[in-house]
Amino acid sequence: MAKSEVAVAGVGLSKHVSKRRDVNIAELVWEAVSACYENAGLKPKDIDAFITGNMPAFEGVNLPEEWGAGHWGAYGKPLLRITTGGTTGGSVAHGGYYAVASGLYDTVLAIAFEKQSDGNSTAGLNTVAIADAAAQFALGVDPAFLAAFGGGAVGVAVYQASSYMKSSGCTTQHLDKVAALCRNNAALNPYSHLKQPGLTPEEVAKTVLLQHPIRFGHVCPATDGACAMLFTTGEKARRLVDKPAYVLSVASCSDEAAMVGIAGSGTTNVDPCTQESCKIAAARAYELAGIKDPRKEIDLAEPYAPFAHQMLMFYERLLLCDEGEAPAILDSGSMNLDGELPVCPSGGVISTNAIGASAMERVAECAQQIMGRCGERQVKKEVHKAVAHGWGGAVNLNVVAVLSDTPRR
Amino acid sequence: MEYKNETVSIEGGWPMEHWQWKFESLALIRKTLEALREKKLLGLKCPGCGLVYFMPKPYCRCLSIPDEWVEVKDTGTVTTYTFTGAWAYEGIADEGPAGTPLIIVGIVLDGTDTMTVCTLSDAKPEDVSVGMRIRLQWPENPEGKLEDLAYCVPL
Repeated sequence: MAKSEVAVAGVGLSKHVSKRRDVNIAELVWEAVSACYENAGLKPKDIDAFITGNMPAFEGVNLPEEWGAGHWGAYGKPLLRITTGGTTGGSVAHGGYYAVASGLYDTVLAIAFEKQSDGNSTAGLNTVAIADAAAQFALGVDPAFLAAFGGGAVGVAVYQASSYMKSSGCTTQHLDKVAALCRNNAALNPYSHLKQPGLTPEEVAKTVLLQHPIRFGHVCPATDGACAMLFTTGEKARRLVDKPAYVLSVASCSDEAAMVGIAGSGTTNVDPCTQESCKIAAARAYELAGIKDPRKEIDLAEPYAPFAHQMLMFYERLLLCDEGEAPAILDSGSMNLDGELPVCPSGGVISTNAIGASAMERVAECAQQIMGRCGERQVKKEVHKAVAHGWGGAVNLNVVAVLSDTPRR
Repeated sequence: MEYKNETVSIEGGWPMEHWQWKFESLALIRKTLEALREKKLLGLKCPGCGLVYFMPKPYCRCLSIPDEWVEVKDTGTVTTYTFTGAWAYEGIADEGPAGTPLIIVGIVLDGTDTMTVCTLSDAKPEDVSVGMRIRLQWPENPEGKLEDLAYCVPL
């Protein structure tokens, strides 16, 4: 049980585009950090500790927290780096929560970022698979033979999409709809990357097929961007801002890697769409938050969905409906900004994906929707409780956070 | 200095064939590969929870050591699929293996609890579905290589 009540008192985001050639990593991160200081009304001297993270190997630059710390106001302060692949930002937010909840620190700045244009993300991603794939190369398997089975994030996603679509009845038209919904939301978000106001599902359907069943329009862009969040005690947050967002709980769950067996070492996680670890993490997070019926009590969801089918799949795995129900819920309009349970009001990862920052930006959006700071994309309904999610690792780690407008009783 | 709004690519190599670790799993996989010459499929069963690994694995998710070799069938079920090459990129086919139109399926062989990927031959893209039954297509003379397991056909 948490010793201290934890709240978010500030959120800062950098500009998000595909190539920030005008700034280096530290300068990019500074944009998010300075915005966070400003809207929480704090200065670096007020921060007790820093937690940061990005995806290792994507920039081709390592230990950025060491040479960037000066730009973040972190000199002379405790600094911890957390990286967990796609979930990095979510894990960094969890780190911020743990630091305050434990009673060890009062005020913690959590920073997550990615500057993909500085390096080669595909080469970085290959470093994830290499430990397993190396066993096959040692057997003398032709790399071209393995390449034919499709790799990388899209390779994993297409297998997941095929099995999800079979088990849920989700059609390609649903994928087109998800993309249109998210990109229209993104158009209202000044910090999103791909803004496509007025995009229709029909236009998405006309984009080139990358690999069955996923089209170009169903996939996230590669983004440069950063996000910073200020975690502090409930008491201090109430002094700093009118309406803090309380973090009721965090939970994560790891499962066996589901790399569809190309690693040759055998995975019993045979279906990449089941995502048992997401269901376990969500159930744990709701229990810790004192939520009995998430379907009734959750007002808003920010699932981590770089690929269109994942918005629906993770909506189900976050226990917000029965399995196979999400496509019909999308059709009902419930997931829209003015719907009963808005999903990805930020535009989602499908519109903006600065890898290391993405899972934190889900938590940040939930916090800002609760704080009522979302401007044009502020959802119509009042948000009391929201759920943020991240997905990553070797397709096997899920992180969940539950936020609220009121502290836990 | 002149400011350039472009990304510079630098040629480099990644000699993955030099990753020659002393894998525990390799000794097990070699035994399974050796049996392929006789068209036999050897999986490894966990004494703790009964899961059967194909390919064999030196430790189970329950952290027991799988130690019982069991013969598994060459029939199985499709769990997921995609297409490559000309069927994937709408005609923008690459030269070489990645550009060849293929149906790639994830399969769970009967009597095993693990998924592997395989190429489905003798089928059109519209024929494939999750849950369809398949049989491995053995080469005439298996050489005891992973490539012996590269193809399956609809059952």
